[in-house]
Amino acid sequence: MRRQVLEALEEPACEHSTNENLKVCARPKPGQASGGCSFDGAQIALLPIADAAHLVHGPLGCSGNSWEGRGSLSSGPHLYQYGLTTDLKESEIIFGGEKKLREAIGEIMERFSPPAVFVYSTCVTALIGDDLEAICREETRKWGVPVIPVNSPGFVGSKNLGTRLAGETLFQYVIGTSDPPETTPYDINLIGEYNIAGEMWEIKELLDKVGIRILSRITGDGRFQEIRWAHHAKVNMVVCSRALINLARKMEEHYQIPYFEGSFYGAGETGSSLRKIAGLLKDRELERRVEELIQEEEKKLHRDLLQYRPVLKGKKVVLYTGGVKSWSVISALQELGMEVVAVGTNKSTQEDIARIKERVGADTELIDEGGSGSILKAVRSKKADMMIAGGRNMYVALKEKIPFLEINQERHTAYAGYTGLKRLAKHIAHTLSHPVWQLAHKKAPWCEGWADDR
Amino acid sequence: MAKNVEIKDHNTLFQSEEYMKSAEKKMEFEAPCSLEEVEDTAAYLKTEEYKEKNFAREALTINPAKACQPLGAVLAALGFEKTLPFVHGSQGCVAYFRSHFARHFKEPVPTVSTSMTEDAAVFGGLRNLIEGLENAVSLYKPDMVAVSTTCMAEVIGDDLQAFIETARNEGAISKSFPVPFANTPSFVGSHIVGYDSMMKSILSYLNGREGDGEKMAAEAAEKINVIPGFEPYTGNIREAKRILDLMDVRYTILGDHSDMLDSPANGEYRTYYGGTKLSDAAYASRGKGTIALQKYSTRKTAKYIEENWGHPFIAGPIPIGIRNTDALLMRISELTGKPIPQSLKDERGRVVDAMTDSHPYLQGKRVAMAGDPDLLLGLISLSLELGIEPVHILCTNGDKEFEEEAQRLLAESPYGLDGKVYVGKDLWHLRSLLLTDPVDFAIGSTFLKFAAKDANIPLVRVGFPIFDRHHMHRYPIIGYQGTLNLLSLMVNMVLERLDEEAPGHSFDVVR
Repeated sequence: MRRQVLEALEEPACEHSTNENLKVCARPKPGQASGGCSFDGAQIALLPIADAAHLVHGPLGCSGNSWEGRGSLSSGPHLYQYGLTTDLKESEIIFGGEKKLREAIGEIMERFSPPAVFVYSTCVTALIGDDLEAICREETRKWGVPVIPVNSPGFVGSKNLGTRLAGETLFQYVIGTSDPPETTPYDINLIGEYNIAGEMWEIKELLDKVGIRILSRITGDGRFQEIRWAHHAKVNMVVCSRALINLARKMEEHYQIPYFEGSFYGAGETGSSLRKIAGLLKDRELERRVEELIQEEEKKLHRDLLQYRPVLKGKKVVLYTGGVKSWSVISALQELGMEVVAVGTNKSTQEDIARIKERVGADTELIDEGGSGSILKAVRSKKADMMIAGGRNMYVALKEKIPFLEINQERHTAYAGYTGLKRLAKHIAHTLSHPVWQLAHKKAPWCEGWADDR
Repeated sequence: MAKNVEIKDHNTLFQSEEYMKSAEKKMEFEAPCSLEEVEDTAAYLKTEEYKEKNFAREALTINPAKACQPLGAVLAALGFEKTLPFVHGSQGCVAYFRSHFARHFKEPVPTVSTSMTEDAAVFGGLRNLIEGLENAVSLYKPDMVAVSTTCMAEVIGDDLQAFIETARNEGAISKSFPVPFANTPSFVGSHIVGYDSMMKSILSYLNGREGDGEKMAAEAAEKINVIPGFEPYTGNIREAKRILDLMDVRYTILGDHSDMLDSPANGEYRTYYGGTKLSDAAYASRGKGTIALQKYSTRKTAKYIEENWGHPFIAGPIPIGIRNTDALLMRISELTGKPIPQSLKDERGRVVDAMTDSHPYLQGKRVAMAGDPDLLLGLISLSLELGIEPVHILCTNGDKEFEEEAQRLLAESPYGLDGKVYVGKDLWHLRSLLLTDPVDFAIGSTFLKFAAKDANIPLVRVGFPIFDRHHMHRYPIIGYQGTLNLLSLMVNMVLERLDEEAPGHSFDVVR
């Protein structure tokens, strides 16, 4: 396991590894509120494989606290939604959890006959030294079904690192183990698209229109079988989370599949992602179809957005979100005529930050410290009209009566693609013009000066 | 707002022709079995044979119905003024706790972690704890830090007492800064045990701590103490306080997170809101007596108080339903010598009136319920008063004592005859029960919605966590008012169902 962790930490496609002065992958400071752990990262990356069984080997908390915590949707099987765990008790901590794990795998096989079982290690099972790899190897042989160890206990590090370890797992155990019934010259993989709120379905609709086929969904709305044959794709697109960049890099090395990082947030990013796919597929006719689609969609978009523009124009936003969204959502907001006055860079990589800087002016504040205090300070000093961030900061904003839109994994709304941008415009417009803000900001009638209040 | 732009969403997306076609194609590798086989399997799941097989399951937990110890410890800590919950372990646990509480209460939850990593796993978490305490105190400026552990710290055997002492000696925190701590591994017990351990730790740590202030001691002697227990309802704590105020009783709530987890939108976020004053907790032992509203989530605390505080202590039953609320009021009255006021007597009468209004619709309804032990005992008691038959009672974190108490309660009423209690079982077991022995509705947390949907019965959301409905925790479910709230939740759900299922000719207006 140590080797895998080191390898993941030293990922050459991530510039943190090559520059010692960059502290972004630095471990969190004790005594602060912090984000998820490596177990969390590995689980959220693999869990969207909807027909597989996902078994958490550890005490109940790890599974109980994470069960159904994310809105990755499936169009078919629902086995991934089951909270499966070995629920270790004190005696197993002392005598080892191996026996229980083997039995649990057996019960899953007999009960659900899944195409594969992912077994997640946790802090406890890593510490007590259960040999996950050996157990999984033997159980695979016994059942004739892949039982895959996911060695990413919480204590090895951050959520990002866990996602990367999940990528390693897919590369080592899944990709390249089967072949698709048919291939086309237009086969691509989406890597790091988790189908939160069904975003992948909208992306798929766009790709369908020009004849690009998603060969493997890694992993949003994914199926085990299709990920096994992912090595037959012509192009890999890394959609979100640089953490899975290692997977794309390794697939390029081993299978000569070119990859690029792109986003579907905002019309500009969506268009450029489509163009890049077409370009990498090296098909003139496809490129023409893509151009046509972009023209057509942008025209429609322009017309549909007209009614929201007066509300959105010139409004100031503080954006606080992780990773790829920190820059890609900026473009989307700017297309809506809004001004991004501050951006959180707490979870962004150096490359993300470079991209942020390309997109915003010198006046835009970069908030690099976590915590609600610094976000609120930015909102006040920049006189922002609203805040766009994740769930854990939402309620802080509402205490301060700041209009708020949630954009992280808990959201129930898809904002990707052209349709997503319309939805984003509509929701921001509704958020800004909701009557509750007038009510919240007006003093109660018994207060002095209430009539002149805004 | 202007007219809506039509935006397709995924609720309807899959009904389009294109998707129907592709779904048919996908069936080939997604589910290599016929629709007939699917139906057969569905039918098999409803058989006694499958149920037996399911109940023979030992190694695998499917759909858990409890949370872990440190989560409970965090809730206990949040009940004290300017107290920062501080969890010693790897960082992910705390991120989960904060999300869990934020999703349930819709509030920000300040809680920090020592973010232990591999180095700590090898060399111990001493440096993390010391550095963490220093950072937390300077960043969040608490008056007290309440330390709990995760599995990781427990497995490597970190000695909290010694570590905290070292932190003081090294000057990371002052000699006098209060740092109660509790050992709360997830592989033992559940969130109610963690709550209990932290509550006991805080009370014993603070006891007598502020020195012998004569004035404080004299004030405390006029008061009683009330411990809410693991309480996911801020409305319950407020209701307890309202009842005590109506009875003109002076009191200290030990662990009052009602303001912390239900604070006003006043335009300025603060890290801490309300909570039990540390000085009040320090003199609680001088009070007339202590009442714990829950029994199973305050066992260690109970033992500590009984052995050390030298005043009357009563725990449970949770005041849900008329009988349990009556018992609480009489106990308060006995402890304080205050009579039960007319206002509460009238309130009781009005709730009994409401129960008579609704009784024809609830009579003989069969329910399944899952939750924490104290809550379930309250719900059983209320069900029997309403003529509802509790059939399947599932308590993952219940023990032998709970099982016996629940069975005794059921045996007291003819409506309890069909009731069976299952401890240590999970929600997949409950699903089997719902399918083999159907009931009219289920009562429990959001997590029951999967089983309820499979069994095609409505779910009345009561307990923790409730992620998918708003404001439930703001309404009390204890006391007469809480009983009225539960009654109207249940009866209106039954009436809603009646309307849904009524054919045209019996779809009418008056119920």
